[in-house]
Amino acid sequence: MSTPELSPSISFPGNRASGNGLSPIQLATLEVVLDLIVPPSEDGRMPGATEVGVPAYLLAYCADALPILRNELDQLDAQAQAGCGQPFAALGAGDRQVLVDAMRSQDSDFMSRLALETVTCYYQHDRVLAALGMEVRSPAPIGFKVISGDLMLLAPVRKRGKMYRDA
Amino acid sequence: MADDIVDVLIIGSGASGAAVAWRLADTRMRIVCMEQGDWTNPSDYPSTRRSWEAEAAASASPSPNIRKGRDDYPINEDDSPISIVNYNGVGGSTVLYSAHFPRFHPSDFRVRTLDGVADDWPLDYATLEPYFALNDRNIGVSGLSGDPAMPPHDLPLPPIPLGKMGETIARGFNRLGWHWWPSDSAIITRDYEGREACANLGPCHSGCAKGAKSSADITYWPMARRAGVELRTRCRVSEILVDDNDMATGVVYFDEHGVEHRQRAEVVILACNGVGTPRLLLNSRSARFPDGLANRSGLVGKNLMLHPWGLISGAFEEQLDSHYGPQGCCLLSKQFYETDPGRDFVRGYNMQITRGTGPVMTARQGLTRGTIPWGAAHHAEFARRYDRTINIGICCEDLPEEHNCVTLDPTLTDSSGIPAPRISYRMSDNSKRMMQHSFEKGTEVLKAAGALDIRTEGPMRYAGWHLLGTARMGLDPTRSVVNDWGRSHDVRNLFIVDGSVFVTSGGVNPTSTIQAVALYIADAMKARLANLFD
Repeated sequence: MSTPELSPSISFPGNRASGNGLSPIQLATLEVVLDLIVPPSEDGRMPGATEVGVPAYLLAYCADALPILRNELDQLDAQAQAGCGQPFAALGAGDRQVLVDAMRSQDSDFMSRLALETVTCYYQHDRVLAALGMEVRSPAPIGFKVISGDLMLLAPVRKRGKMYRDA
Repeated sequence: MADDIVDVLIIGSGASGAAVAWRLADTRMRIVCMEQGDWTNPSDYPSTRRSWEAEAAASASPSPNIRKGRDDYPINEDDSPISIVNYNGVGGSTVLYSAHFPRFHPSDFRVRTLDGVADDWPLDYATLEPYFALNDRNIGVSGLSGDPAMPPHDLPLPPIPLGKMGETIARGFNRLGWHWWPSDSAIITRDYEGREACANLGPCHSGCAKGAKSSADITYWPMARRAGVELRTRCRVSEILVDDNDMATGVVYFDEHGVEHRQRAEVVILACNGVGTPRLLLNSRSARFPDGLANRSGLVGKNLMLHPWGLISGAFEEQLDSHYGPQGCCLLSKQFYETDPGRDFVRGYNMQITRGTGPVMTARQGLTRGTIPWGAAHHAEFARRYDRTINIGICCEDLPEEHNCVTLDPTLTDSSGIPAPRISYRMSDNSKRMMQHSFEKGTEVLKAAGALDIRTEGPMRYAGWHLLGTARMGLDPTRSVVNDWGRSHDVRNLFIVDGSVFVTSGGVNPTSTIQAVALYIADAMKARLANLFD
């Protein structure tokens, strides 16, 4: 039970983290990929993944994922350069989507770890939890109210009589 | 070897080790328990922090191979579709279990006689009934009397809340005319014996910060220590020693600094679970026991039963508050528990209704299963599932098969250099047919309850909680490892009290039965103290 506390909105500096472990180009690519994973909702209620400090989270808590993440970001950028003559981050939204879809169709694991860690960070963030209507706190010590439920629903079960076998 | 001799040395402080320690304490014998792990502090459990869901999948993972804790041992499970999950510390796996606490049925002890498969147990439900009841009172178990699927039994505490989710699925069961009942749960729903009632924190399976879950560290251990039992933590036993008369003389163990020691004992009791116990016996080879201690039957480590676990998830239109409440406990159905000759499998399964997951796990599982996508549709698909999902866990009875086994890995070791266990497991055709049946029936009841989107999955990989059968109990020394009161056939002062001794697995979570068996064995020993080794 030794993982340090993750309180994204408190502990994390947001997505302005410097390139500790990621180059500027990789960080720029990551920024736009995050919005492909979890974009802001159309109604503006839910923030996008770029707004909740995912890069800092990755650097702080997902060191084991960084080698493959760097490689995947480099692959994306190389494909963008080869196909469009531009860095991935400079492509239009449509071209980014087409390129990422193509990479993921070739390899279903492509950026799957990034996506998992992105939603892990995203759904711990104050803004996201508040937008979901949740209380922004840990479960302990207060806990939650749960209705007892109607035990009269058991009436037909009680009428069945003994079901188990004697032995 | 040091001169210090204890009367009884218990190895392992989990569900069974804690129960047997308490029950033997009134003999005034000098009893020592060695636990390879340490105490956990409830105020340090993940639910005290905002990161509780992320931690539950990492540092508080039930898989020792993921958790990689200081006191864990690695397990080679490459040859198994089901991973072993456990916890190594005071209280053992009860620290991380979900506290779903059904008893075995009377028929579970008579499977050969009733259904013509496996073997009967050498004891029965009636023999264990007083120990089930004693255990329920000791630790604090909640539930509702009158379940027609079980022999009558009263529980000391009222049932846990069904919640809106429980009511919804209950109506589904009623529409089909199927059995359901609020789950017996090792969770206190009222203040009990100095502990505060459950506050519905939710993630029982990553430790209960409230102390409302009746794990062995906060129930039996305070009782046993007050009664004089000594509990030594950070003591990792590597070998049980025997003399030329086939009597155990003590153990070799490593302390927290990695220094090797020996401890003599008149009686040794193994309580290390269905993987740890055969591992230690197989690691205790000697000239008299070249195939491992107490293994003249050749059955130590064999007949491993894991309860293949299925999952049927249903997403509903309406919000169900489904992630609130004790995660693993709500209600169960025994509709398909007992053998029905009209089905294409023998024995049966329990349907365990569990709460939905929190937002992190909802999103992670949705990505993994392909139900929650990347991109613009992410939010809508997340919203369709979060707080609107009911899960049905399927606990398939696993019949004993010798090829399902625990052996020693030739190269993998723990941090003390002790050979690690290797799991070889194949799901039987009977279990596969049973699970397929459960998928069809689980889908049926979720539809009846109003679910719109239903998914099935199984066997679940990280669901090897129930570690049973690897040092089975029986009257025939050629077909069993211990006798009908837990004593080794080969080593007359060696006892086993954990799930290893189970002859069959039933189709429910086994901890209630494990603790009842441990208490029964303790009483059997006490009744024979004058001639325990005869």
